[in-house]
Amino acid sequence: MTFAQAAEAHLDDVYGYLAWFTGDRAAADDLAGETFERALRLWHRFDPERGSVRTWLCQVARTVALDHFRAEKRRTRREQLAAQHERVDERFVEGLAPDLEAALHSLSAGEREVVALRIVLELDAGTAARVLGITPTNCTTRLNRALKKLEEALDVAA
Amino acid sequence: MSQRDLVAELRAARIEAPANVRAHVRLIAAADTTPPRRRVTWRRALVVALPVAAAVAATIAVTRPTHHNAVQHRGAIERATAPSATDQTFGAQKAVPAPSTTRVQRYGATIRLRVADPAAVSDGVTRAIRIARSLGGFENAVHTNLTGENGTADLTLRIPRANVQQAVARLTKLGTVTSEQVDITDLTAGLSQADRTIARLQRRLAALRAQHAPPAQIAALTQQIQRLQRGESATKRSAHYATVRMHLGTPPHVVDHHYVRNGIVLGACVLVLLLVGFLAARAVRRRREDALLSRS
Repeated sequence: MTFAQAAEAHLDDVYGYLAWFTGDRAAADDLAGETFERALRLWHRFDPERGSVRTWLCQVARTVALDHFRAEKRRTRREQLAAQHERVDERFVEGLAPDLEAALHSLSAGEREVVALRIVLELDAGTAARVLGITPTNCTTRLNRALKKLEEALDVAA
Repeated sequence: MSQRDLVAELRAARIEAPANVRAHVRLIAAADTTPPRRRVTWRRALVVALPVAAAVAATIAVTRPTHHNAVQHRGAIERATAPSATDQTFGAQKAVPAPSTTRVQRYGATIRLRVADPAAVSDGVTRAIRIARSLGGFENAVHTNLTGENGTADLTLRIPRANVQQAVARLTKLGTVTSEQVDITDLTAGLSQADRTIARLQRRLAALRAQHAPPAQIAALTQQIQRLQRGESATKRSAHYATVRMHLGTPPHVVDHHYVRNGIVLGACVLVLLLVGFLAARAVRRRREDALLSRS
């Protein structure tokens, strides 16, 4: 598989993962481009025996997103914003019930990430754990915690 | 909402990349000129090679003896094997057999000595030659090889047979004797037989002359007698000198097993420390990521 084929086949997955992870469509737009630029530079290091292309691209996307979070954190410190910075009021997921979407905003980035990998992209526990750099058991625990948090938020909304 | 419904709803809300993002990524992918994938990259090789090299370097640094240590080792070996006060008289008490004064013998002695260092080898060669000459002998062959911390020398000395016992006694004091060998071959019987043969031929020669035998016959017999006489003289001349072969050498390099073991332990500790450092750095990085992602 060439890089162009891999990019075409998995762009939606990577973009969706980034949107869920950052909770910000605008950020996902920028980070998607960065992800594939970095993936192109690292394409020669991809080893198909170690995992699928989609998993590898998600790993690259995660690294790019983490750099984004760190940069955001530094920027926040520099601008001395004590309160939560204003998020662009834009839905990062279309087609969800309003209460569910509101509940999603209560999740942290780490919790959204595991939901995106396990639920939206339907990666198995082992593969998702590899992307996250944690054990499969830890990955399952994080997912359960995130889903429970969503349920509680939905119950409260109800 | 049950968890099953929740999962179903989340799954249904898949996100597609917008057109501008898709176009951008296609542009990026169009620039793909990557070479064929390498299984073993320099980065992967370094990850393995660097820790191993560090461990090997530590092992070598510890196991390789310094000059001081090498001298100490050799000194320890020499002290452990050096002849004691009693053994100093080895040359005198356990002297080689004395050559016979009444019989003709071919006498040969071979001695091997161990000395402390290359300087002692060189010094031993000089003194051995001096000993030989002082006893009326001479050096027939000398081969010396001095390299770094090791040295050897092989000498062939020709000593008048009457002085060989004294020569060996003095030569054995130049170092620690590791082996000694004497070969004596008696030549008297052979020489006596040669004398009888010569006497018989001379009697026959006298008879031929008295009978006025043909000159050719007389000349042939004369030549035969002369040949035998020359051989006899050569044998007696060779037996006049004894042959002493002497080998001087430094002890072999001894590997202190304590150093080797300590080096291996140190190398293993370096590897373990590197591994612990790697795991600690990874744990710290993961904790920072978790802290970063714990925010919304």
